[in-house]
Amino acid sequence: MTQLYRKKKIEIVVEAARARAIIEMIEAVGAKGYTIVPDVSGRGNRGVRDEAHLSDVFRNMLIIVIAAEEIANRIIEQLQPLLKDYAGIVVISDVEVIRDEHF
Amino acid sequence: MDTLLQLALANLVSPMVLFFVLGVAAGWLKSDLAIPEPISKGLALYLMLAIGFKGGVELEANGLGGTVVAAMALALALSFSMPLLAYALLRAATRLDVPNAAAVAAHYGSVSVVTFVAATGFLGYRAVPYEGYLVAMLALMETPAIVTGLLLARRSKTAGTTKPQAPLFSKELAREVFLSGSVVLLGGSLAIGWITGAKGMAVMAPGIVDPFKAVLAVFLLDMGLLVGRRLQDFRTVGWPVVAFGLYMPLIGATIGLVAAHAIGLSLGGITLVAVLAASASYIVVPAAMRVSLPQANPAIYVPLSLAITFPFNLIAGIPLYHAAAKWIASM
Repeated sequence: MTQLYRKKKIEIVVEAARARAIIEMIEAVGAKGYTIVPDVSGRGNRGVRDEAHLSDVFRNMLIIVIAAEEIANRIIEQLQPLLKDYAGIVVISDVEVIRDEHF
Repeated sequence: MDTLLQLALANLVSPMVLFFVLGVAAGWLKSDLAIPEPISKGLALYLMLAIGFKGGVELEANGLGGTVVAAMALALALSFSMPLLAYALLRAATRLDVPNAAAVAAHYGSVSVVTFVAATGFLGYRAVPYEGYLVAMLALMETPAIVTGLLLARRSKTAGTTKPQAPLFSKELAREVFLSGSVVLLGGSLAIGWITGAKGMAVMAPGIVDPFKAVLAVFLLDMGLLVGRRLQDFRTVGWPVVAFGLYMPLIGATIGLVAAHAIGLSLGGITLVAVLAASASYIVVPAAMRVSLPQANPAIYVPLSLAITFPFNLIAGIPLYHAAAKWIASM
């Protein structure tokens, strides 16, 4: 059977205006990679956010990071101040991956 | 006043405005009519390229005379200073707090590319000539207002905090502002038009002169859809702020008319400067405010400039400013 490795998965839904700062932070704390879904929509405490048009002001992105627990904790710590005054959802879950060296 | 009414009615029945109205109606009634986003972005890029290039060619033909320099100085002065007036009005007449008033003020010092393009369409429809180099004013007016808006927000913030301040113009904001697509494309095609001149125009004309108005009409249909879907946001904005979205363009236009007349522009030129001073940004400034002034609520400034001031200028403002320009030019 294939060996599995335990990792943390962080999913961040955030407005596009803030995505760049968050991605820079993710790279800075040493995560080896991330995945972006550039355009997601839905409803939250700021109402329906689905207007992906002209300027990116009402566009939301989904950033997915899978990392070792230690790096994941650093990301979570630094996310809090970055999300002040911005729309954002952060979900953390335990996952297993098959290629340890990728994360 | 008879002629003003006629002018307004004539503006209403141009295909550009009618397609806009169609879009507003369809958006408001929640029709599934939609122009795919990549296409509408492409149309916007085409319009900016075409108007920038034409402006550059005109600039090459006219040379950098005194009026050109005066117009560019006027552009910077208007964009830097109008947010101060807008901010004072907002703080006196509405309940907006400091960050929101500063953010809205920045929008009204900056300009709407589409309103300007529609005004050139309006003048072209009536065969009124204008100084093509005024498109350089458009490019210059996009960003100074952002600086003023951020300074207004910061000035009152420093009162309470002792925290060291982040630099006013962060790297992120600079990228957002100076490398924003519209600034790069407008400035870049202006430069290319200037370098290549009449020869370049001969190459580009089949693509950017004749189809221009038709493309503008399609783009305005899309703008209409966007505005129509945002019409319900009026309620969240509040009536004193909505009123600001209607009288601020009139104040801006008046300043623009007087200043443009003073530096000796033609009838068409005076009309366009009035339109520039009256219009409010809804692409570059919202993006910059979201990055640099996140305390301000985009659900206030986006509908205000997009769903109130933009349609007002497009339908009533442009013919009105043109009539006023006629009056002031005949004095």
